[in-house]
Amino acid sequence: MAEEPGKEVESPKKLRRRRPSPRIDQFRRTWYFFRRNTLAMIGLGILVFFAALFVVSFFYPADPTELTTYYATDGHAINPNATQAQICTYQPGIGELPPGPNCYATPNGMPSVIAPTVSLHPATLGPLPFGSLTQNPGSDPFYDPFDGLIKGTQWSLTVSVGVVASGAIIGILAGIVSGYYGGIIDEVVMRITDIFLSIPGLLLVIIVLAVLAGSVTSLWGRMSYVIFAFVVTWWPTYARIVRSQVLITREQRYVEAAKASGARGGRILRKHILPNSIYPVFVQMSLDVGTVPLLIAAIVFIGFRLFPVTNFPEWGTIAALSAQPAVLSGFIEVCQTQQGAACTFPWWQFLFPGLTLFLFAISVSFFADGLRDALDPRLRR
Amino acid sequence: MRLWVYVVRRILLVFPVVIGVMTITFLLVSALPIPDRLASAFGENPRLSWNQYIACSRITPGANGTCLNPAYVRGTHQLGLDRPIYVQWGTYIYNTFTGNWGYVGNASGVSTSVPIARGQPVVTVLGWFLPYTLELAAISLLLILIIAIPIGNLSAVNRNRPIDQAARVLSFSGYALPGFLLGSLLLMAAVVLVGGPSVHSAFCSGQTSYSDFTGSWPPPQCFPGGISPTWLNHNVQSSPTGFPTVDAALHGQWFLALDTVIRMIIPAFVIAYGTVALLLRFVRNSMLEVLNLDFVRTARAKGLPEKTVINKHAGRNSLNVTITVLGLTFAGFIAGFPIVETVFQLNGVGRMIAYSVTQTPYDYGVIFGSTVLFTLLVVAANIIVDVLYAFLDPRVRLG
Amino acid sequence: MVAAASLPSTPPPVGEEAEVPELETITVPLEAPPAAESRRGDVILDIRDLKTYFYTYDGVVRALDGVSFKLRTGETLGLAGETGCGKSVTAFSVLRLIPDPPGRVVSGKILFRGADLLWGLDKEARMKPIKNSVRVKVIRRFRRIKAAAARMMAVRGHGISMIFQEPTQAMNPVFPVYDQLGEALSIHRGRDIIDQLLAATPNAPELLPAIERLAEGVQNGEKLDQLKKHAMEVGEAAHLQSFGTQAFYAARSASAANTDALVHDLKAAARRFRLNGYQRSMMRYRRLQSVQMDELREAYMKEMREGQMHRLLEARARRRAFVAKWTHPQFGIPFLRRRGDKPLRDELFWEVVGLLEGVQIANPVQVARCYPFELSGGMIQRVMIAMALSSEPAVLIADEPTTALDVTIQAQILELMRDLKERIGTSTLLITHDLAVLAEVADRICIMYAGHIVENAPVQSLFANPLHPYTRGLLASIPRVDQPNKQLESIPGSVPNLINPPEGCRFHPRCPYAMPICSETRPPMTEEGGGHQVACYLYHGPNVVE
Repeated sequence: MAEEPGKEVESPKKLRRRRPSPRIDQFRRTWYFFRRNTLAMIGLGILVFFAALFVVSFFYPADPTELTTYYATDGHAINPNATQAQICTYQPGIGELPPGPNCYATPNGMPSVIAPTVSLHPATLGPLPFGSLTQNPGSDPFYDPFDGLIKGTQWSLTVSVGVVASGAIIGILAGIVSGYYGGIIDEVVMRITDIFLSIPGLLLVIIVLAVLAGSVTSLWGRMSYVIFAFVVTWWPTYARIVRSQVLITREQRYVEAAKASGARGGRILRKHILPNSIYPVFVQMSLDVGTVPLLIAAIVFIGFRLFPVTNFPEWGTIAALSAQPAVLSGFIEVCQTQQGAACTFPWWQFLFPGLTLFLFAISVSFFADGLRDALDPRLRR
Repeated sequence: MRLWVYVVRRILLVFPVVIGVMTITFLLVSALPIPDRLASAFGENPRLSWNQYIACSRITPGANGTCLNPAYVRGTHQLGLDRPIYVQWGTYIYNTFTGNWGYVGNASGVSTSVPIARGQPVVTVLGWFLPYTLELAAISLLLILIIAIPIGNLSAVNRNRPIDQAARVLSFSGYALPGFLLGSLLLMAAVVLVGGPSVHSAFCSGQTSYSDFTGSWPPPQCFPGGISPTWLNHNVQSSPTGFPTVDAALHGQWFLALDTVIRMIIPAFVIAYGTVALLLRFVRNSMLEVLNLDFVRTARAKGLPEKTVINKHAGRNSLNVTITVLGLTFAGFIAGFPIVETVFQLNGVGRMIAYSVTQTPYDYGVIFGSTVLFTLLVVAANIIVDVLYAFLDPRVRLG
Repeated sequence: MVAAASLPSTPPPVGEEAEVPELETITVPLEAPPAAESRRGDVILDIRDLKTYFYTYDGVVRALDGVSFKLRTGETLGLAGETGCGKSVTAFSVLRLIPDPPGRVVSGKILFRGADLLWGLDKEARMKPIKNSVRVKVIRRFRRIKAAAARMMAVRGHGISMIFQEPTQAMNPVFPVYDQLGEALSIHRGRDIIDQLLAATPNAPELLPAIERLAEGVQNGEKLDQLKKHAMEVGEAAHLQSFGTQAFYAARSASAANTDALVHDLKAAARRFRLNGYQRSMMRYRRLQSVQMDELREAYMKEMREGQMHRLLEARARRRAFVAKWTHPQFGIPFLRRRGDKPLRDELFWEVVGLLEGVQIANPVQVARCYPFELSGGMIQRVMIAMALSSEPAVLIADEPTTALDVTIQAQILELMRDLKERIGTSTLLITHDLAVLAEVADRICIMYAGHIVENAPVQSLFANPLHPYTRGLLASIPRVDQPNKQLESIPGSVPNLINPPEGCRFHPRCPYAMPICSETRPPMTEEGGGHQVACYLYHGPNVVE
């Protein structure tokens, strides 16, 4: 630059005495690009909201079966053996009294259809904020969807993060080893990932669970098998991504320099290759956190019992159960046989669980996309 | 090298992967309890037939009031369950390649839902339902290409402008919206608006049941003029090719063929919506990369109109990446079929899977059979994509 | 025509409309004289105070800060300087190929044949400086930018052509050479080619004797020049020059023993321009589309010349061009091209072969059928030159055409360019960092340093008497064979950062003759006699060049 004391425009970064470490500088640069992306910031905001919800969910009872349940009674007495608060639904006729103190009146012929605006008979419990889940009368009791969704935050987020973290660790390890050492190890690992990637994800999870966890009924046992099945499905993607990055990174000059100064394989892997190869993995990880609840919902939807009980409070489960074909066909039949205003379309049972899943997944994808754009050197301006 | 040599080489390379997949299913099958294995191999209810010990009667004397079940012994011997594991593996691979995939269990969800499949070999049953899935896949792929490529190009050219942001939101919503939710909502909308998601429902009135709104085969009894064609039997088989649209066309029943296709448009759209989400990003990114390359600058400097530069020069080059990504996402694409087919009640392999996992005892024959089938489809799709890539890009063929 | 220059001249048969009744002949009113008619010495490209900036995360890169020079007809102007001084940016700015984010041509005037190529520039974008930051926010008006790009289409290729630095990357790898060259031909000379094709006479009585003479020539083992003459006679007989090319290559690869096969093949080949009614009407339709394209180009040129939007003409021409674009034989959608286009596409192929002949490629037929990745760098550069010159542009910009090639190929390419320049008389702007090349080829040299032009002189004058200290440093640092020196001289310091360039004269930190005024204001360009201009306070006198 100029050798004599001319006028120099100082940029804010240069006002510091010492430049911060390159890692932090890189982080700051990434954050700058991320910040400029409106959609990414919106995604981040919604994710913060979900994190807050996650904290709130710990204030709910630990055992999912302790959530407030409701029954569709068709006018009959509610379960006398229940130990916790219940809500019942009934069809009011002329001169009919509600069968219990906490009962909602429902449209003719459609028990357990409670809109969010309907208020309780003795007005002690207030409206169900998310309405009800429509079920046929006499079926299993269901909890209040509002409670279920909040409690479900805990399960969904835990399973997602657990799956993604474990899958990423295994995948990164496999990818680094296979990418760096090459040769026969690389071939073998690549073939294995090919095999796993050829089997559609949904099916792989189903067959692993059907075989291994068919008889397990305890909550934690089943959960661990579920996480295991998902991790088995997920690790090849990470291995692939990391391997392709490692192939580029291992050709760099600094790796050669490190080798020349006597560093052995493990050290090179740890200090040079690993930090430089995992950036794309972050993007994929954030995307996958959103995919896992959707996959759970899909599996429950096609009828496979993923969790120990059918009405497990988890986002995917609630969403899937609310959109079952049996439910829809029941609604259509009732509406066709009973002409007139008695037919209410239960929009709330589709909207709220679906909205939760949708909001989570879309905020995750905004975030991941913003991250990808911020990290990609070619798309930076 | 010649194109067919490339194809043959590609097919040969795929063998290890196929055998690997079969090995994985083999490992899972071996982990099953033996009554379930026997049930999936020979049909029949495991609890009734394949119990190892039965109450002792005058058949075979044994200890503790129970006797060995002779059927069990015969079955295990026939399956080779007493042989070493690698022999079992070899037998399994051989059986899978020759099409001996077992029988549909008599008490499983499949048997109750599709009574005609009871006791049939799994391969046959899957063969009945595969054409529907393939037709749905074809229509979905068409929709995907029609939607993703133009919008991706537009997105790349107008980078970060409103249309790019809108496309981005579209693709995210496609990824975030669960397929079954979108499907259910569209189905309800179709029912409310036109009485059903097909041409047929627009012409015929007085539907009474849910399955009449949906379901691709057999169609309900409402034909123009009230005459039903004689070749239409109300089994899931249709003749002669097995593909409903093709069959209807071959028999000259254009109304039926059109109806079948239109029935599949909304499900195909639901499937496409999810895949477009993924593909749009790739099309956009590959297009952005291509637009920075030198030959695009040369094309502009030649004085070509901008549309030509983008569509002909840049578009052809970014197509290669697009096709490759389509092949790679095929596994995810296929995984969406069980859901959509369940929502719209189409008779495809996906719905078979749904039936087979709905009630215990799970029908392992159908589960593993359809898994292998879908995997073969994914592998075939990858081969086709590679061949298409070689066809489109002369550097692969000649370089 | 490139190929025509090596043949006896044939008058283009445009007047013969006898076989084409009731054609809606639209003559394009060309208001400016075409390239061949502007006299030697006229200024054809006048760049005034061109400023191009790049707006990046680290600040504003002032790549070009007020560049001015003139290019005259028939002249070869060399633009020389170190890497990173802005030579390529100048070339891209002329044709407006600067990638819009992040770069922009900020101000200036580029006058090409009286039309300002940068018309409407100030309305295209607005810069807003950001507080407490070196960055600048650029608010772009995309509709205007797109309109400007559309206007540039009128000039690119047609009036100003360009060839690029890395020939191996410069062509599209998925299309063969004849496709890409054919594109250029059909855009710029489509009408002439179609007229030739329509006027061709496949039934001429003198065609068969000419073919037979050619076959005799092959039988007698004549040399290639003789064969060429015979082949050209065949072409004349058919009234289609490219048929002569086709005949020549058929004859070249024919064997002396089997001349009957040759005659038979040529008679079969003559069928390609035996057009039936459907093909003829298709040709007329294509001709109409070419005319519409020319109309559009002319409307844009008029707009840039007069500085006003001619909305009505533009809209009509644009609508017609829209149809042309989608159904054009070279770059329309394949299934919208019709079978009647086959004669045109064959004709374009043989025209391409003729072009490749003109750039001295030995086996043009094979090269035309190749894909670009099958060719070597030197070959592709020739193809690029053919492509650039196919439209007979008035100005050719060559951006470091030989930097990526070996020295021997470099010599060949330069020889070729000099040859073509003499034959066609294009004005050339040759950009390179190699002064030796410019010494061979250029008439005038501009030296650039860090986005400014520091010296602009005729080539003899520059080498004999370099005025600017930078030029002197450059020339001194070239090792000379006739003056053995113990030490290599270099200019101390390094190229400045263009985000914070030095104030005043950008060279002053490295200049051994720096004065206080050099760090304050930028020296203007002054004329030192004999057309030798320099921007340095050492010579600053009253004769400032505007």
